[in-house]
Amino acid sequence: MYIRQLKVERKLSIAASQQALGGQAKAKPKVKAKAKTKAKKSLKSPKGKVAAAAWSQSHAGPHSVYAHSKPRVAAVKESAKVQRPRRVREEKDGSQYKILQQTIQSNLECFLFLQQPEKAERLLLLYHSSPAKRKLLNVNAYNIVMRSWARKGCLQRINRLFSMLESVGLRPSLDSYAAALECMGRSQSSTKAIWRCVQQLKNDGFHVDELFQKCLFEEDEKEKVLRAIRIVQPNYQLPPPPNPQTCKSSLLQDFYSKEKLVSYPKLDFSVQELQERFQQQLELELDSTVTIESVESTKPVTPQAIKARKLLATLRSRWHDSILQALQKSKHNMSQLKTVSGYNILYPYLCLLPDEEYVGIMLQILNTFSPQGESLAVLARELGSKVYNRYITQRKLRSRQLEKVQEVYEDYIHLLAKDSQPDEYLPREYWEKLVAEAGFGPSLNLKDCSWPYMLLMRLGMHMLELLVQAVKVPRNILNPRLEHKLIPVLYHIYSFRSSWQVGLIKPHPIFSQIVSDAAETLLTFNSSAIPMLCPPVPWTSPHFGAFVLNDTRLMRFVDGAIQHQLLLEQCPPVNLHPVLDALNQLGNCAWKINQPVLDIIISIFNDKGNEKLDIPPPISEAPRPPAAPSNSSTWNKSQKQEVLLYKKKTAEMHSLRMDALYKLSIANYVRDKVFWFPHNMDFRGRTYPCPPYFNHLGNDVTRAILLFAEGRPLGPKGLDWLKIHLINLTGLKKKSALQERLEYANEIMEEILDSADHPLTGRKWWMNTDEPWQALACCMEIAKASRSPDPAAYISHFPVHQDGSCNGLQHYAALGRDLIGASSVNLMPCNVPQDVYSAVAQQVEEFRKKDAEQGVKVAQVLQGFVSRKVVKQTVMTVVYGVTRYGGRLQIEKRLKEIDEFPEEYLWEASHYLVKQVFNSIKEMFSATRDIQNWLTDSAKLIAQSGRTVEWVTPLGLPIVQPYYRSSSTVLNCGMQNLSVKNSSSNQKPDTVKQKNAFPPNFIHSLDSTHMMLTALHCLRRGLTFVSVHDCYWTHALTVDVMNQICRQQFVALHSEKILQDLSEFMLEKYCRYSSPVGKPPPLSFPPTPIPLPGVVVPRCSRVVSSAWGLLWREAVLPS
Amino acid sequence: MLAGRAPPGAAGCCRRFLAAALRPLLCGLPSCWATARRAAGQWPSPSLRVPEAAEAERLVQQVQRTGVPLRRFIACPQLARTVQRCLQGGASPGPQPVLLECAPGPGILTRTLLNAGVRVVALESNSAFLPNLQSLENSLDGQLKVIYGDFFRLDPLTGTVKPPAMCSDKLFETMGVAAVPWRADVPVRIFGILPQRKERNTLWRLLFALYECNSIYRYGRVELNIFISEKEYKVLTAKPGEARAYQALSVLCQIGCEIQLLHMEPWSSFVTNLKNGGLAVPKSMWLPNDHLCLVRLTPQQNLFTRGLKPTNSATFIFMVKQCLAKPKSRLTDRLNSWSLDNGGKLQRALEIPKNAETRNLYPEDYRRLFEALQNSNMFTETWFHDEVLESIRNINL
Repeated sequence: MYIRQLKVERKLSIAASQQALGGQAKAKPKVKAKAKTKAKKSLKSPKGKVAAAAWSQSHAGPHSVYAHSKPRVAAVKESAKVQRPRRVREEKDGSQYKILQQTIQSNLECFLFLQQPEKAERLLLLYHSSPAKRKLLNVNAYNIVMRSWARKGCLQRINRLFSMLESVGLRPSLDSYAAALECMGRSQSSTKAIWRCVQQLKNDGFHVDELFQKCLFEEDEKEKVLRAIRIVQPNYQLPPPPNPQTCKSSLLQDFYSKEKLVSYPKLDFSVQELQERFQQQLELELDSTVTIESVESTKPVTPQAIKARKLLATLRSRWHDSILQALQKSKHNMSQLKTVSGYNILYPYLCLLPDEEYVGIMLQILNTFSPQGESLAVLARELGSKVYNRYITQRKLRSRQLEKVQEVYEDYIHLLAKDSQPDEYLPREYWEKLVAEAGFGPSLNLKDCSWPYMLLMRLGMHMLELLVQAVKVPRNILNPRLEHKLIPVLYHIYSFRSSWQVGLIKPHPIFSQIVSDAAETLLTFNSSAIPMLCPPVPWTSPHFGAFVLNDTRLMRFVDGAIQHQLLLEQCPPVNLHPVLDALNQLGNCAWKINQPVLDIIISIFNDKGNEKLDIPPPISEAPRPPAAPSNSSTWNKSQKQEVLLYKKKTAEMHSLRMDALYKLSIANYVRDKVFWFPHNMDFRGRTYPCPPYFNHLGNDVTRAILLFAEGRPLGPKGLDWLKIHLINLTGLKKKSALQERLEYANEIMEEILDSADHPLTGRKWWMNTDEPWQALACCMEIAKASRSPDPAAYISHFPVHQDGSCNGLQHYAALGRDLIGASSVNLMPCNVPQDVYSAVAQQVEEFRKKDAEQGVKVAQVLQGFVSRKVVKQTVMTVVYGVTRYGGRLQIEKRLKEIDEFPEEYLWEASHYLVKQVFNSIKEMFSATRDIQNWLTDSAKLIAQSGRTVEWVTPLGLPIVQPYYRSSSTVLNCGMQNLSVKNSSSNQKPDTVKQKNAFPPNFIHSLDSTHMMLTALHCLRRGLTFVSVHDCYWTHALTVDVMNQICRQQFVALHSEKILQDLSEFMLEKYCRYSSPVGKPPPLSFPPTPIPLPGVVVPRCSRVVSSAWGLLWREAVLPS
Repeated sequence: MLAGRAPPGAAGCCRRFLAAALRPLLCGLPSCWATARRAAGQWPSPSLRVPEAAEAERLVQQVQRTGVPLRRFIACPQLARTVQRCLQGGASPGPQPVLLECAPGPGILTRTLLNAGVRVVALESNSAFLPNLQSLENSLDGQLKVIYGDFFRLDPLTGTVKPPAMCSDKLFETMGVAAVPWRADVPVRIFGILPQRKERNTLWRLLFALYECNSIYRYGRVELNIFISEKEYKVLTAKPGEARAYQALSVLCQIGCEIQLLHMEPWSSFVTNLKNGGLAVPKSMWLPNDHLCLVRLTPQQNLFTRGLKPTNSATFIFMVKQCLAKPKSRLTDRLNSWSLDNGGKLQRALEIPKNAETRNLYPEDYRRLFEALQNSNMFTETWFHDEVLESIRNINL
């Protein structure tokens, strides 16, 4: 809500400045997003004027509902004066101010939720009555209080708030009128009063229809408003929903064209089945946590464990009681506190949920403590956000948002279910259509109510302090000889890391001992850590999508950063459609578990683990602790070292083991189910599955146990692709053409079958590959397929991967139209796969030879040391903007690893080599460095002018780099002062980061665009498609089609004038900006490095015909 | 001996150049000066010419600076004389221990000290400075010994020891200094300018070594005469209640050594090896920092009496650091948060007020607190000991 308000205010102020520019601004339709917002701006400003005029007219009206008509005229005049400095102030101290505003509003929201309008009003008055603090209030703050009175039907109070608004010169917003009308509808006001209110609304420049189009109603608010309106206009009909807009991006013309609509692919489930799955998912999320059996539960329970479990159970019930007591006591103290404001800032936040829920959250944290402890900041954030998430769930329940979602979802699954009519809609379109038909308007979105980060931390710290105080254990519980005394289970200690100190909370060894003895086999997760059991709710806006209840953000960002969210909200919704549709497509892929592989992995995991196969062994397999005298103070240095190394090793083993335990247990929990990974993205548009532990982005082990739920026949070439995929997984034959890889697979067929049939007892060929578990899974699939009577008809669920080769350089080569570069990263047809690292090494070697002949000493010393390995890392990271400094360190490291290399030349040689590597890349990718330099220079200029670098991807996703000069705010908490890094309280950009990160971020935004384009076009061709960044997965049957789409889209993407568009965007954004407040003069950018119009991009299948190194397809598998 | 010599072939052309540049400085020595000296440990002055400041500065600038960290040098003969007087001041009569000069660079102070009859071991880490020091060594008859090595990279904790890093036993063997008991007199005196980048770290490392009788302190109570920035000096000597300055470092340093301020000199009197000749004065927010302070740190003779021993001193250091991590916290809360037993009783016995904040305790109070805890066997029973180990790991591994 408040963000919307800010937006409007900002627009107004910009609009004002733009009027000075005259009509000039409107004549720039080039960048769509830009033009749109501008159109809005210019619309807004005259409206504002009209409204102001209308408002003052309304005072003349004889029967205003609102009392005190006398002083009003004066107030309005004053308001004109007041508003000016307010606006300037708002822009000046930006975020700090926003955070304060946000804090006040979230406090008011709490009172609204708690249905305590008196308290809300008291808080509001506290600010309202002080001229200094009043500046922190905007109309939304007043609206929240109005809404809480409206719910009680107290019209007088609302009237009073209206006059308060007026007295400080704020205009009522649409929401203010909604609250007034709701109250009138509730309290059956007279027709006259309602009529006057509606009249004022109109005088203020609003329309009655807008109430139902824009207000985010909760509970029965909408019905009450409608009722009030129908009292004065008995025939009033709700406004029709707005017509859906279609994205006009040239890259997606085909995709969105109405003529070529295809029905959405069906899942292999009936409506009934999907309905049931949705119910399961809903119940899961309503519980907010889920407790599952770990895979270790199959082990027999020792008597010692039984004893420890009993002990733990009694301790837990005791802890539960003492935490509850401590919580209630602290709440009581807070409520008694008589401060100026009359309440403690945290108090309302401790009332939102039943006490038991807070206790539950704290006990849950206690259960997850590892013996090494955890930093205070992490714990505080976790506690705080757990409370927040449950509060949001409660709000969704209470506001009847969930009911509506449920209703829409039930219809929505008809799009996906096999037993319903096919519909030619995308999931998002279909969802929007259903919402419109049900007449819900925008009310599926919850009013924005996020808590400021500081508040989250403060709340978390308070709970943590309670936990540390309340949880105690008898000191003699494991050793009855000691005297009985209660000691805290958690202790607070500082860890020193060079110049700074970190506060840690650690569990007492007694506690860790009991927990490890008990070897409990139940694991508790947040419900969002489990894959979804039904197709995700489609993304329809930046706030809405993914899980049913769990709050998920469309864009991931670091805590406290609000820039991305603001940018997404300002962006016209239609521009986000491609991105939303791509995310929906990725999230709609159904998965299942590869049970035989999972069983083998679990058997090894529960046995002794296997480090070579990446199955972490249990702690019991750790090397014995070194034998040392029991009295530790007499240890000598080497004994201490030994003990330390042992501790370090066990700590590492523990965390690896737990990570694997979580993944395998979740996999085991869904082993018989079909499940989905809802997706979101980072600020550059790279997509990620939301569940954190178990997903297809994981390591070899997790990838090996995932299969597509949907099966497809292998088709004529599917088996060959499976075999090639297997060889790719082994890491062998890297330099061979696909045909050779296939031949090699056929040669070793015996080994493959042996691995599949006797994975643990046979010759174990699969164990010696790069990705052993995926290789094993692939062996098994090949075995089954090749033994089936007709391999082409064999139904396969197996995902086949296609990898990009040095994807960043591929994009640079295409951007710069570098022919030599393009061929070295497999963008050009060639008989054998090219290896860019070897090519660079070769080039460097040539330079070196020349220098050596001319007597350059270091070049002579380096004879025989220039290899692919030495240069690989540097070449790879060149794309990510590695500097000479970093590159030298990388090469130095590699040279150090070579025993024969003379040490005294390390510095000189690495210095020389990094120079040659850069020269070689410049030679091969002549334009890459130019493009990088151009990007870097531009970013530097932008950052130096005090702004952050922004751009829009070819798909229309707005991007802002979230790097600011960090400033930290110290949270003064009882236990420890917490320094919270606060990126948004200081709007000054971090120039170095803005500059250095721009080239790689820009390239990442391109590779994500390419992935999304591929995803969308694969959808149109009916393919199953998922991605791990630049690695694309599909069924063996459809690999060829996917490769074709991948190439087409790569060509299509790079046929756009990407750099030119970027240059124009930046000129538009950063150079035309003139503002009344002392902003720096317009920037003048360096010209775009590539004069694009002159270069013609060859169409698909000629030059750029083999992205992803897949050109050899033609040679191998003639179609 | 081997460890101390310059590596073959390392210096290249620099060596030749510098040696040539300095050779004339040695002219004019009386040819027989070597015969009549070494009376009662005091060497007669060799009357070396000490180059002028500008000349020294030029020498510093001529040394190629590739991968060499920021260093400060004494270039001005006056300053060198002041330092020499400070170092010799307060010396007891009788044979003087050898003076180890760390990182002499162009050798201005070295010459001044030699002229004053001091026996000097010069430990130089930049091989480019070595040739001129070595030719000086050769021209004298044993009054100067030059070693290739870096005092501030002594006894590295990880990895192999590659020159100029070196082991203290090698260094002391080369110097010909043998270990003496802790309570004995100072076996060797050391002069140096603390490298600025890791000033704080170096101080911590020296203190750890001192408390554990490691490294140079294995040879007895080695006396350090070091130039440190004024802000660090303020910290080392801060008293309870001095906000911001009183830290764990203050407590540990004051318990560990006697601290004497010998001299204060403005930053501008020193020459840096920066290309632009900048001074690179470190910033200080709260404490004054206009000078470099020449400080003498002499380890306390009675350090390891009562409860404190080299074996348990890590616990003491850890306890002090934990207490002063948040100086405004109350000692009671700290003790309780470690789930130590009977914190209150202990505090009463030590007559520390119940509401005392950790920043109000005198260094000696910490020592008494530690001794009391040690005597009640509190540390060995709790997790405290594991944490101490952990903290050692954070420092050493």
